[in-house]
Amino acid sequence: MSSVEKPVRRPDRAALQDRRWVGRSIPRKEDPKLLTGRAAYVGDVSVPGLLDAAVLRSPYANARIRSIDTSRAKALPGVVAVLTGADAAEVIEPMTAFCAEPVPQHAIAIDRVRFPGEAVAAVAATSRYVAEDACALIDVDYEVLPAIVDPIAAMDAESPRVHDTLDGNVVFHRRVDFGDVDGDFARADHVVRRTARWHRMGAQPLETAGTIASFDPFSQSMTLWSNTNFYNFLPWTFANMLRVPSNRLRVVPCTVGGSFGSKHLTNKVIAIAGALSKATGRPVKFMEDRADNLAANDNVGPDRIYDAGLAVTGDGEFIALRLEIVDDYGAYFQFAHGQHGNALSQPTGPYRIGSLSYEISCVLTNKVQQGFFRGAGADPGNFILERLVDAAADELRLDRVEIRRRNFIRPEQFPYKIPTGNTYDSGNYEGVLDRALALADVDAWRGEQEKARAEGRYIGIGLASCQERSGYNATEWWFLYDKPPLPATSTPESVKIDVSAFGQIRVELGCPLWGNSPETVVSQVVAEEFGIDPGEVSVTYSDSTSGAISAGPGGSRLTVMLSGAVRGASRTIKDKMIRIAAHSMEADPADVKLVDGQVRPKGTPSKAMSMGDVAMLAHLFKETNPEGEDSGLVTTFTYDHPYASLPSDDRKDLGAFYPFVSHACHIPIVEVDVETGVVKVLKYYAVNDCGTLMNPKLVEGQIMGGIVQGIGAALMEEYRYDQEDGSLETGTFREYLLPSMHEAPEIVIEHQETPSPFSEFGVKGAGEGGRLVAPTAIASAIDDALKPLGVTVNELPMTPERVVAAIAEARASAAGDA
Amino acid sequence: MKPAPFDYVAPRTVEEAVDHLTRHGADARVLAGGQSLVRLMNTRLATPAVLVDINRIDGLDGIALENGSLRIGALARQRAAELSEVVHNEASLLAQASAHVAHASVRRRGTVVGSIAFADPSAELPAALLALDGEAIVTGPDSERTVAAADLFTGAFETSLREGELISAIRVPRRPDAGAAWTEVARREGDLPVCGAGALVTLDANGAIASARIALCGVGATPVRAMAVEEALTGAEPTEDAIVAAAERAARDLDPPSDPHGSAAYRRHLAVAMTRRSVLRAAERAREGAANA
Amino acid sequence: MPEKVRLSITVNGVEHDVLVEPRTLLLDFLRDELDLKGAHAGCEHGVCAACTVLVDGEATRSCLMFVAQLDGAAVRTVESLAAADGTLHPIQQAFMQEHGLQCGFCTPGMLMAACELLEHTPMPEPDDVREALGGNICRCTGYQNIVNAVCAAGPLLAANVGTPTAPPAQGVSA
Repeated sequence: MSSVEKPVRRPDRAALQDRRWVGRSIPRKEDPKLLTGRAAYVGDVSVPGLLDAAVLRSPYANARIRSIDTSRAKALPGVVAVLTGADAAEVIEPMTAFCAEPVPQHAIAIDRVRFPGEAVAAVAATSRYVAEDACALIDVDYEVLPAIVDPIAAMDAESPRVHDTLDGNVVFHRRVDFGDVDGDFARADHVVRRTARWHRMGAQPLETAGTIASFDPFSQSMTLWSNTNFYNFLPWTFANMLRVPSNRLRVVPCTVGGSFGSKHLTNKVIAIAGALSKATGRPVKFMEDRADNLAANDNVGPDRIYDAGLAVTGDGEFIALRLEIVDDYGAYFQFAHGQHGNALSQPTGPYRIGSLSYEISCVLTNKVQQGFFRGAGADPGNFILERLVDAAADELRLDRVEIRRRNFIRPEQFPYKIPTGNTYDSGNYEGVLDRALALADVDAWRGEQEKARAEGRYIGIGLASCQERSGYNATEWWFLYDKPPLPATSTPESVKIDVSAFGQIRVELGCPLWGNSPETVVSQVVAEEFGIDPGEVSVTYSDSTSGAISAGPGGSRLTVMLSGAVRGASRTIKDKMIRIAAHSMEADPADVKLVDGQVRPKGTPSKAMSMGDVAMLAHLFKETNPEGEDSGLVTTFTYDHPYASLPSDDRKDLGAFYPFVSHACHIPIVEVDVETGVVKVLKYYAVNDCGTLMNPKLVEGQIMGGIVQGIGAALMEEYRYDQEDGSLETGTFREYLLPSMHEAPEIVIEHQETPSPFSEFGVKGAGEGGRLVAPTAIASAIDDALKPLGVTVNELPMTPERVVAAIAEARASAAGDA
Repeated sequence: MKPAPFDYVAPRTVEEAVDHLTRHGADARVLAGGQSLVRLMNTRLATPAVLVDINRIDGLDGIALENGSLRIGALARQRAAELSEVVHNEASLLAQASAHVAHASVRRRGTVVGSIAFADPSAELPAALLALDGEAIVTGPDSERTVAAADLFTGAFETSLREGELISAIRVPRRPDAGAAWTEVARREGDLPVCGAGALVTLDANGAIASARIALCGVGATPVRAMAVEEALTGAEPTEDAIVAAAERAARDLDPPSDPHGSAAYRRHLAVAMTRRSVLRAAERAREGAANA
Repeated sequence: MPEKVRLSITVNGVEHDVLVEPRTLLLDFLRDELDLKGAHAGCEHGVCAACTVLVDGEATRSCLMFVAQLDGAAVRTVESLAAADGTLHPIQQAFMQEHGLQCGFCTPGMLMAACELLEHTPMPEPDDVREALGGNICRCTGYQNIVNAVCAAGPLLAANVGTPTAPPAQGVSA
């Protein structure tokens, strides 16, 4: 099977300029309910007879459970059920795995715990208070085993194993060469080498994961109220896990208090609530508290050690890239090599790099498993690549701007297929770079830097030019396996459009409100299509029994996919309205248009019909409508990925799977206190190109939020485990540090719009860009600040202590050279 | 994260409070601002059987000069101390340190005395009290006694208070002549410092350092006096060189803890830096004070 | 079982005589007993401030306070801001106008902290906002639009002749 080249539709710029609602910063439709406490997050939902759950977690990283005595807990008044892992296994299945390896994971551990915070027992009681009281009364006898903490040590064949079902702790290993990597390295004039460390970080939305499960034993049906995303995409995985027929599971979406990738599934939470509901015959709410979330939610991003090389010609032209990666996946492998499939969409960045060697070793240790977090593996990818590019500039004594210019993919080269097979739709990277340099007034900052240095202060000007892939396809989940367990190729988004007999439009989404703006986007697209005011559009959310297949937000896809789905559904509706109206007007449908909320025949505007007139005909006047038209005015439209292709059998070409490629150039200004190591971000400039801007203000919100998360990644956020006993040292928000208002700099944003030829309206994704670029941009700024000291950043986050250590090392090394 | 059950009492007088504390001994905790204690209770690191809420006791929120020293009552809020003119004039270090505690909304609840009684070795106010040579006025079942800051902090989250005792106020000697400065490094603004230092410097008539008192937080099980630095500074000219040299001694004899925010080695490094910065600024202020006097 | 505590507390202008378990946190009391879901449990250990409400006019983390402490106190929550006819409070309008929220989970806490600030500082500057709201964590917005929103609320409030903690007259919008 070979990758199929898709036809390219050139964006019609005239049509884009004509648009009335797409591109306008209209206020968010979502806001009023969020501003008034009426949003109905899952924690706000109540149902009659509801019980509250709490979970007892292992304090040990690695231990055998000799015995569990729940009798004291069960005797506590108010306690309705206490489940051990073995008890839960009577009513539910292990969590659905996306991997090919035998790494079963139960929501409540059976016989052995493999990470600190793994669930050992769960309680349902009349209140969360009582449930926690009961947890304190459960007696667990552990046989503590040595903790497997260091991924490099864990790779040793002699290392104790996290899972006895596996041959070792390297659960997955693969090297794929795309192109003639060895040849390219052999002919290179210069090879730049870097090692780098990207530490473990987590999404940490302010709302934790939660679910109410209500099991009906008579019909064997289950209803869930949840902040999960995949209820209209993979609901059968929940059904399977909960051991209920897939046609008897109903998942009701709730407003989600942020996800950043962490709530696609929320399997553990759903499983625990479901098991307790089955055990009690009553609805049970399990809402993680922050300790639950930090210890055990699958919201952890990559945890990587890179050994990387960039082959460069004497002119500074990049020709090949080699990445060897050890990735600490934690104790389970539910989502397989997940965040590497994603990274392979843009490992060579915005540059013309002809070949790539990508070698990964996914290692298991006694930590919570990786899940997904904004960036989803492409974040450290951007970091290592931009570190190599800066190193190449240093080593070849080229200006860091100039070396980028020389290597950028040029505007006329799009669509551009990178070595892995992914295709970039469009771009103008030099245009973005030039605007960013102008926006930041880099020359002025160089003056400031010079003045500061004279005073012994260290100001740095960062620069990073990075990709933001968007609109993933399911192939990325499995293409690194030769025999994948589920080689799916669909990643659709659906909407239902329903026009009432009065001509008023309601759109039903297949995905939840995750903190982004689907209602606003949908309203803008409907308004554009029908020529009505977006305020007139009503948007509601389907549940899993009423919605059509939808992958929802994730991979910065939603605006792209909703634009396609809504436009598709709108066209179906409009066509029908035109056919019905034309028939009524005795006109040729080809001469009838729907504009400004009216159906108008060509030439005789006086005969125009309102949408209500036509809708009433469609609803109730079957016999006078054109023959063959069914009654009503409703359609469900499923928009499949518009530009995806299959991986080749030998995996030398992974196909197109992430083709809407936004781009950004970030220029942060930092000041480093070289004594304390404290880095302060003074100002932040970003120029972004995500194609056509659907709603500039909302795009800027995404970028700013992502940048501040990226500042967290660069300076603050890190999961830390004791190197000896493996205990979690960052179990609360006092140790896992999210940036506050004080750490957030002033951010200045400009846009360039290079429309995508692959999407409706030319939109591309913008949800992850800030966080995909900011970490490496800050690293570059620290380098720039500390250039006089010879420091280069190869590790994130650069905590104050690491900054101090890097400076000391550079000084020692300089002294050694002298 | 929900607290374990407890009995709640809200005495109206200090005597009543002491009576509850005496009766319940180690099972009782005093609730003042609650900004640290309730967190510990929510995470069940603290599970008192009885919570003695002193917020209903009248007259404990005073901040006033009394017999030549500054007295701060058990219910005076950190925000009040931070903004108090008396505190600024008489014990500026305490106002400066208070301004670094958490965030304004937390400081409006949290009390100065509560923070001192909580005895978090990373916190600002215990170290400030130590630098200021303050003392705790301790009310017990039988008597009232004073405990000098140096004798109050006995370990991490531990004080020399006996069962049944309550710190009803702290007293701080007036130091209007001293230049004072608080400096700290926190991972995030409003977080507990990784290391902080408070310094008080007075100059003699010739402009030499007459006295220096320095206390550090975040570098041991209790707040720590930097005595070696104080000795080196006493009598010295307050030149930058002298202060830099003296501050190098701050890390001597320290045995700091390690945690995710900083290793022992980093804390030792910061102890020197924070000490130097605070002393430089305090000396500068002492000079300015002398010039203005 | 510990003895329950009887007390009287006014929430959003309504007085409640209640009997509570001493350990009941103000946050849980508001959410579970009074069904006011606007204050949110983000961390329950006093770091994120998503649970911020006004207690006697002061922005307070309701996860760090027991309702038993509040006999005679007046509490205001986000539910007190908008008018019943759907007119948003000027501070809410400012957040909407400046796109000062995304997922909305931290927003009620931000709004209540902003109320307190605006009560004392009717025309706040960005530094005032950072001082007053700096302890409230938002994971979505990057804060800049929140700062802008609170600054923008000053003029909106003045135009509305309202006070930060009193709901606007119905039908009046700034």
